[in-house]
Amino acid sequence: MSTVLELPSYLKQSPEVAARLARLKARPVELEVKGLTKRFMTPDGGTVTALKEINLSVHRREFMSVLGASGCGKSTFVRIVAGLETPTEGEVLLGGKAIRGPGPDRGMVFQGYTLFPWLSVKQNVMFGLEACGSSPTGAESDALQWIDLVGLAKFADAYPHQLSGGMKQRVAIARALANQPPVMLMDEPYGALDPQTRGQMQSYLLQIWENVDVTILFITHDLDEAIYLSDRILVLSPNPGQVLEIVEVPLSHPRSPEQFLSPEFLATKQRIEELIHPNKHASDDKLPMIRLTKVGDDVN
Amino acid sequence: MRSPKESWFAISRQLSPGRAAVLTAWSFLLPLSIWCVVSYVPFIWHPDVKLEVGSTGATVYTAGDHVGKDYFPTLLAGARDENAGIAEAAAAGEPIKGSSRDNVKLLRMVLPIAISNGVLTPADDTNDAAIYGVWRRLATGDLVMSSPALSEENLSVIRDNWAIMSAISETYDKSALEKQKLLSLIPQGKPANPVYLPAPHEVLIQGYKSWTEEPAEGRSSMGERLRSSIIVVFGGFLLAALVSLPLGIVAGSYDFFSKLTEPFLDFFRYMPAPSFATLLVAIFGAHQSPKLALVFIGTLPHLCLMITKTTRMLDPSLLEAAQTLGSKRFHLLRKVVVPGIVPAVYNDLRIALGWAWTWLVIAELIGVKSGLTEVIDTQGTRRNFDQVFPVIFLIGIIGFATDQFLAWLRPKLFRWTEPKAPGLMGRWFGGVQNWFEPVLVAYRKG
Ligand SMILES: Nc1ncnc2c1ncn2[C@@H]1O[C@H](COP(=O)(O)OP(=O)(O)OP(=O)(O)O)[C@@H](O)[C@H]1O
Ligand SMILES: [Mg+2]
Repeated sequence: MSTVLELPSYLKQSPEVAARLARLKARPVELEVKGLTKRFMTPDGGTVTALKEINLSVHRREFMSVLGASGCGKSTFVRIVAGLETPTEGEVLLGGKAIRGPGPDRGMVFQGYTLFPWLSVKQNVMFGLEACGSSPTGAESDALQWIDLVGLAKFADAYPHQLSGGMKQRVAIARALANQPPVMLMDEPYGALDPQTRGQMQSYLLQIWENVDVTILFITHDLDEAIYLSDRILVLSPNPGQVLEIVEVPLSHPRSPEQFLSPEFLATKQRIEELIHPNKHASDDKLPMIRLTKVGDDVN
Repeated sequence: MRSPKESWFAISRQLSPGRAAVLTAWSFLLPLSIWCVVSYVPFIWHPDVKLEVGSTGATVYTAGDHVGKDYFPTLLAGARDENAGIAEAAAAGEPIKGSSRDNVKLLRMVLPIAISNGVLTPADDTNDAAIYGVWRRLATGDLVMSSPALSEENLSVIRDNWAIMSAISETYDKSALEKQKLLSLIPQGKPANPVYLPAPHEVLIQGYKSWTEEPAEGRSSMGERLRSSIIVVFGGFLLAALVSLPLGIVAGSYDFFSKLTEPFLDFFRYMPAPSFATLLVAIFGAHQSPKLALVFIGTLPHLCLMITKTTRMLDPSLLEAAQTLGSKRFHLLRKVVVPGIVPAVYNDLRIALGWAWTWLVIAELIGVKSGLTEVIDTQGTRRNFDQVFPVIFLIGIIGFATDQFLAWLRPKLFRWTEPKAPGLMGRWFGGVQNWFEPVLVAYRKG
């Protein structure tokens, strides 16, 4: 991307954005990651370092994205926070306490929809409530409210195989939120959706987040998505996954799709691209141009 | 519906339901028609001759016996030679003296043919006076046999013999029979397949008879046998399922139980279940219990391992999702593992039920033979294969029908699995759905 436009620095924040970020940082730290390193054993006996010395503090009701190329350890990171994987070194604190294993205080939305296929939409949302000890009637009325919130009231009795991908992901969000966890983890939740549905889902998510007291850790490899949704973006480098920079997004709230073309947006995007592909142009030249011959018909 | 122009041979494409039904019907009609052709077209195979009239003399055959096609002429020649000798001696004026025992045997040779023509009954087997009467009526032309008919050659033997016998006595008199050796009947018969391949109609008739005729004193009826076999199959199977389900589910969920059970089960399944037969009889006695036990130990290890594997194949992300929702230990097993694997385990159980039917035949032979297998065993030993086949088919039909029924029931029980177009059998079962619709409705509510 060559700079045709004169872009402001991504560090330049309007007064309201700066004030908002200051307010956020004044809030208590909800989720804290300290010196997190994860190494996997490879089949041949060696080790791969998937994540290296990650430090991060996420404040209450912050929308934090983790961005990085495929394979740089985003899923590993979010799985450790969820308690589904144990760190090799370091620790994860939730509300000041070290986490031990998965639990209902960290709702999770997976890339695959992972709805229980044998349960209806309503029963899926009730699952967590009942697992945490709600009475069936209480769970049912709660679940219906959450289903209503994600706009699926008409489908409360449908089964997952009768829903579209976008609808399934909304059920997954309602299910994760129903336990009212302080933190919601989302691992590339919209990776499998078409661009249009994805756009709708992003707006939905922002609306929900404005109405629910929840801190979101959102994993994605899509720059636009990360910038559009987040307060801050953690940019990871590949091999090993290390923090390159934590970018503060200089966009005002409430977010709207028009902001995709604003100078702040483009400046942020340019900065992140520089981070992820430092030698982009140099490597472009080295593309192996295999033997190609001009077609030479009368079209060209 | 696809257009009728679609090829019948489009690779890895489903045929339309109509075409599928036609082919399903053919998959049964083809073997059946091969059987019919081999049975009813005389020159196709028929390596034997099935005797309608047996032979006395050096080698004794009774009517109904099979002899090889190649050997039959030798048998004929033997009988004809013997008769020629007797006739020659009589013509020379020195008839060979007979023995009443041999002559009575000879007279009784018409008995089978008389029975199948409805002239005498099996109870007449020693009623020599009546048999003597049949000879008279045959010789005088009073009586003509038709199913089967007697050959011209045999009729002339009967007339010649009757000339000799009637000269002595018009009515049966055993002592008079020793005056002169009678001519022997000439073996006659029809081309036939070996006894082990009875024709379809014979199997049908015997099958029908075995269900309608009263069983002999002290023997079980077919209905009782079927019930006893079903108890062995389903009893053994249900016991195995009852043990395998919890064991397989915990072994599939927890590596601890997997390592604790699987190696031994893997070893155990290589010890053939029938090798425990005598042991089981020693432990459980000779009646139903050891048979149930054999089906049980034959089915258990495989079923257990299969359910373990099925459980392990449950999508791990479902378990992870459940854990992030606060589900733990027993709740996780009961609310995620069990419902998640139930449709696949249902299929495992269907397969295991098939094994149970296989073990049945061995199980019923141990201790006191019983059930359907006893018929196969005793009638098979007596080479009455027309009575063996109906039982074999019955087992096949019951097993197949149960399995098809369970296959058809599956989508009704597990509505969340994607529906599949029902096959021919499935559609047939759809017709009988009405009478247990209430049960299904209750199940769905519950
Ligand atoms: N269970 C595991 N065993 C060994 N190596 C693993 C394991 N899980 C992940 N890895 C390795 O860790 C690295 C990071 O994987 P991870 O799935 O976290 O990447 P990601 O950023 O989520 O990628 P993607 O965007 O494709 O989902 C990869 O190199 C992967 O090979
Ligand atoms: Mg990933």
